[in-house]
Amino acid sequence: MALAAAVAALLLPVPDSHAEYGDVVINNYSDAAGMRPVVFPHWFHRVRFRCKVCHADLGFKFQAGGNQINMVKIIDGEYCGACHNGEIAWSVENCNLCHSGKPGTPTQVHEATIQRLVAPGSKPPAAPSAAPAAGKTAPAAGKPAAGK
Amino acid sequence: MRNSMRGVLGVVMAMAAVPALAADGKAVYEGNCIACHASGVAGAPKLGDAAAWGPRVKGGTAALYQSALKGKGGMPAKGGNAKLSDTDVKAAVDFMVAQAGGKADKAAEKPAEKAPEKPAAAGGGGEGKDVFDKACVACHGSGVAGAPKLGDAAAWGPRVKGGTAALYQSALKGKGGMPAKGGNPTLSDAQVKAAVDFMVAQAGGGAKPAEKAAAAPATEPAKPAAPAAEKPSAPAAEPAKPSAPAAAAAARPAAAEPISSSEVNTFNRLLRPASKRNLPAMESGIHDPANDGTALLQPPLQAFNNLPRSTAGTYVNWVQALEQNKIAPRYDKADPKAQPVVMDLNIVREVKGSMPDVVYPHKQHTEWLDCSNCHPAIFIPQKGANQISMAAIMLGEKCGVCHGKVAFPISECRLCHSKKKDLPTQTGAAK
Repeated sequence: MALAAAVAALLLPVPDSHAEYGDVVINNYSDAAGMRPVVFPHWFHRVRFRCKVCHADLGFKFQAGGNQINMVKIIDGEYCGACHNGEIAWSVENCNLCHSGKPGTPTQVHEATIQRLVAPGSKPPAAPSAAPAAGKTAPAAGKPAAGK
Repeated sequence: MRNSMRGVLGVVMAMAAVPALAADGKAVYEGNCIACHASGVAGAPKLGDAAAWGPRVKGGTAALYQSALKGKGGMPAKGGNAKLSDTDVKAAVDFMVAQAGGKADKAAEKPAEKAPEKPAAAGGGGEGKDVFDKACVACHGSGVAGAPKLGDAAAWGPRVKGGTAALYQSALKGKGGMPAKGGNPTLSDAQVKAAVDFMVAQAGGGAKPAEKAAAAPATEPAKPAAPAAEKPSAPAAEPAKPSAPAAAAAARPAAAEPISSSEVNTFNRLLRPASKRNLPAMESGIHDPANDGTALLQPPLQAFNNLPRSTAGTYVNWVQALEQNKIAPRYDKADPKAQPVVMDLNIVREVKGSMPDVVYPHKQHTEWLDCSNCHPAIFIPQKGANQISMAAIMLGEKCGVCHGKVAFPISECRLCHSKKKDLPTQTGAAK
């Protein structure tokens, strides 16, 4: 913890985390449930699938936290569970491979332009006003009236 | 916006609605729990938020006591303040549970109660330690959520190097896991800054073992997080008031020393250096290194090694990677042989100003995407029907639904603005 904090702090003026561009943190329910938030690596999946598979066939909306995914849906074969079923990809018992984010990390598309412009540094300050609910509502500052 | 209103309202109402028997719990709450439970940071259920508390209360008070005492999820044991007795913690839980149930009828008292609270708190503008004990201790006492611990010189050092102004800014506006003003909007800017000064002083003061040792016996025993906190208070009668500014003043020049000019004047200091790109999950800053699964995740560089690189985003040119068959992403989740329906049609969009016109290639997009991904929700499939601006794109609309989040970012102007146009002034003169 202290080490990670120190590593992060070394980069100060630069954004303090440097996960991959497009990594999506999903923290709709995780924190409240005492789980680590989910980090979805876009890059890993786009090496293996075209966008269309998830965003057209499986119905993932283009919005971080906008899909109301929960474990029941996954176990029933929706969303992540369409592939993470032990046949196409590893199954749901590997909790910690998805639920691997730092506790308290708000829902976000990491490194998204909106995040960098509106809130240099990180998400929560983006809208101190929206911060209280950052864990609940999806990317508060990320999608202001995007009309989607 | 509405959320913030509700947040503030919740806090204010909480202050208003104090059943006499819960006075003890309220005090504990205000001294400790408020840092997270007022704003709902780190997944904490907000005070007075019946929806958030409901399911927790259903689990039984005993379970809540247990979570509060031993910690759970983002909640550190005793809210990160080991000084609290079990009774204190339980009283605070009772207070918060009561607030979740009985807040509705107290709204009327709001304005009357708000006034006295602020001046009382603001009275000692420089009392960094008081502010710290009230608001910051919950996270900075225990180091939860990545917060640098009070007195931990190693954790604070690099932050202090960034300059006090940057620290003030982070504290006031929030940064990473740190909510704006530590999640307590009732604090004035001066109070927040005083608390920062105090913490910076502690981090610097912690490095001087002699002083610390001398002060230690004089202070009350149970003060694990802030050993040097009372340092100047032993000789001086007043408690923290002189300590924070004085120590901060001492700390600032000390902190300025270690910054070498080569560090400050590095080339492109705000850009990410090559050594910090495509880091493995353990060092990503958003993955939890304490999680055993994190170490199993594939490091990006392993995957990107043989892919054509680019200068932004993931630093991979995905379109080229696909064209050159370096990757073979499936078009169907189960069928590796499914082929995309590619449409080769360029759309030219003439743009205002001197920028080159935009050429939109359907080909590269349909390699990855289905028509229904963009049409008709994001783009009406009709020439001239779509108003697109860079402002909209930066806000995540139109092209910005993907570009700037996962497809190449908008810093790569010329990848879209690629069709040179005849500038009338030049051509007029030339012809």
